[in-house]
Amino acid sequence: MCLALPMRITAVDGALATIATAGLEQRASLMLVPEAKVGDYVLVHAGFAISVLDEAEANETLELLREISAFAADDGVEADDAG
Amino acid sequence: MTDGERVLLGHGSGGKLYRDLVKDVFVNAFANPVLERLDDAAALAPPRGRIAFTTDSHVVQPLRFAGGDIGRLAVAGTVNDLATAAARPLALAAAFIIEEGFPLADLRDLCASAATAAREAGVPIVTGDTKVVERAAADGLFITTTGVGEIVVSHELGSSSVRDGDAVILSGSIGDHAVAILAARGQFTFTADVRSDCAPLWGLVEAAVDAVRGAGGEEALRFLRDPTRGGLTTVLAELAEESGLGIEVEEAAIPVSPAVRSVCDLLGYDPLTLANEGKMVLIVAPEAADAVVAAVQKTKYGREARRIGFVTAAHPGRVALRTPFGTRRVLDMPVGELLPRIC
Amino acid sequence: MTQADELLRLAAALRAEARPDLTFMEVCGTHTMSIARYGLRELLPEGMRLVSGPGCPVCVTAMADLDRVVALARLPEVTLATFGDLIRVPASRTTLAAERASGADVRVVYSARDAVQIAADEPDREVVFAGIGFETTAPTIAASLLEARARGLANFSVLSMHKTMPLPLKALLDLGETPIGGFLLPGHVSVITGTACYEFLARDYGVAGVVAGFEPHDVLRALLRLVRQVTPAIEIEYGRAVRPEGNVVARRLMEQVFAPSDADWRGLGVIPGSGLALRPEYADADAAVRFPVRLEPPLEPAGCRCGEVLRGVTDPADCALFGARCTPEDPVGACMVSSEGACAARYRYGGIDD
Repeated sequence: MCLALPMRITAVDGALATIATAGLEQRASLMLVPEAKVGDYVLVHAGFAISVLDEAEANETLELLREISAFAADDGVEADDAG
Repeated sequence: MTDGERVLLGHGSGGKLYRDLVKDVFVNAFANPVLERLDDAAALAPPRGRIAFTTDSHVVQPLRFAGGDIGRLAVAGTVNDLATAAARPLALAAAFIIEEGFPLADLRDLCASAATAAREAGVPIVTGDTKVVERAAADGLFITTTGVGEIVVSHELGSSSVRDGDAVILSGSIGDHAVAILAARGQFTFTADVRSDCAPLWGLVEAAVDAVRGAGGEEALRFLRDPTRGGLTTVLAELAEESGLGIEVEEAAIPVSPAVRSVCDLLGYDPLTLANEGKMVLIVAPEAADAVVAAVQKTKYGREARRIGFVTAAHPGRVALRTPFGTRRVLDMPVGELLPRIC
Repeated sequence: MTQADELLRLAAALRAEARPDLTFMEVCGTHTMSIARYGLRELLPEGMRLVSGPGCPVCVTAMADLDRVVALARLPEVTLATFGDLIRVPASRTTLAAERASGADVRVVYSARDAVQIAADEPDREVVFAGIGFETTAPTIAASLLEARARGLANFSVLSMHKTMPLPLKALLDLGETPIGGFLLPGHVSVITGTACYEFLARDYGVAGVVAGFEPHDVLRALLRLVRQVTPAIEIEYGRAVRPEGNVVARRLMEQVFAPSDADWRGLGVIPGSGLALRPEYADADAAVRFPVRLEPPLEPAGCRCGEVLRGVTDPADCALFGARCTPEDPVGACMVSSEGACAARYRYGGIDD
């Protein structure tokens, strides 16, 4: 259950992280994953990170999600990554 | 009148203050000979062809957002409604309802933005009205624009002209306006690399009309509609229902920017139901489709135009979406307000 | 190989390896949505049935609870903060959307933290957060409540309608209405719970379960694993996000704030211990305690078969109201309102050949 999106932590300020994915930046609480650090991919649900993902594993989800994007499919150009 | 000033109730009451406001802000911004006469009604020469006539009220909040503002939206919205009738915009009227206390500097900026959009579309704002209401009776500013245009084709555009086998063409990426508004509202705190697509599209439609003339005749252009509230899904679902034909579109062919995709994935929205203010759906006979796509791609707001599907006699009245995996599902009209979900 | 090819390869393997007449159940609203949205049923082998269970937290919320949310929203001092999922759900006589139109202060938030911020920004308002969701969401509400405490906010409270997952699965199996060959277990709930809580399915009932992710590949891979199991077991397909031990920190926060309680599930009745209630030490933040309201008896809509749909006994299309009296524009039951309810998913994303 529940919508959760893999996003990358770009900054940490106490228990709050700045997280980003293609074209989107947000803040999320790290209270449920206190071990998370800058550079980690986390699964974000309702404003909270709930799990730290392995980078390769995170990329797998992002790839699957991007499959439907016409940008990736038509132009053969990688959609702008969270990097 | 200086920029530090605010709009007062007195500005709406028809006397000298009103006259000053009209000249200083509106005539100044929209500058054209008809408007400058400040007659109660603008006298216009009739066009040769049929007339298209439309009106729209604009109550968008916030008034400014990435990629546009209420001024630009007011002009583009009406120009685009005329464009769906294949009508060249001839003249616009703009009626302003302004909340007492609204900063004059902001009013000037928004009028300048409207004027820019109008100039781009080649249409003068020839008449208007101004009312000022008490504080809190309007959300800052409401604008109603009415437009008259000359229909440049002789045949009937519309759902009854659509035929089995026609191509469905979309002029570019969807969801940008809705996400830009969401971001500007700040209700869900995120920043997204998105700008509203708000733009006047007469040039795009004119290019499409020229293209069909060169590729089989005007009648190859069957139907035009801009996917505003309710998004692409609503335009297609209404068309299928009205025409009694089926429509099939390829999900992978529908352009969605990465940022819009991310916001939709995060909040649980479907990009196909999101509002756009600078996009057009064109239904075109198959023999003219390539020419139309090529012509629209050369226009400023149509660079990402592409064929996304076709009209079919199968599943009459319903729209099918083919997923990238080859499976299909029905596209149904969205219901009610746009709500984010956690599930 | 492209992702689409990979998916078709998985579908072909399923068709080749599945025994006929298998029924699997998914118990997660997001799975319901995903399966419908990607048209996955089209790819399944002829005899395989994929049935929807009680996985939509909105759909399983009892009418009496919805009526309580409405009653709280009507209190003039209350700002009712809620996830968007609840806004259009029919309570006995009204919806939160209708109440808002009549002047109730109802605000949609993306996160419980946003509701805490409203409480901080508007000290004159009593902010009540409508707590729905399973184990994925409950820890976020627990964390938000603790944040409100830490910030000294006395005007933030929670109406907990949270429920937990494994027990309804037991209740379903005990009912024995549908032969279930295996469960697609909820991917994100399992991020929190881990898999130990599901072991009883295999051990006591001989029913398999695979924790599945939400992309089409995840679902098909999970089904393939179910098909390939010789002895029923609990497995994880969604390994990139789910660990067998789950998220211990999240569970501790949940247990600190909530205690198991009896919960009333639409369609399943009261399941002891399947709900989450605020512990007594958080009574000041428990909206049910803080704002006692008198409720009229709940009204169940006539002819609504949401309960049976939620148990996987009735297919949405077999409900007489489906598509006629009950549509997304004008829903009778929760299964049609919630975008991930089985009825809504079937109506919106139904196969083109339906």
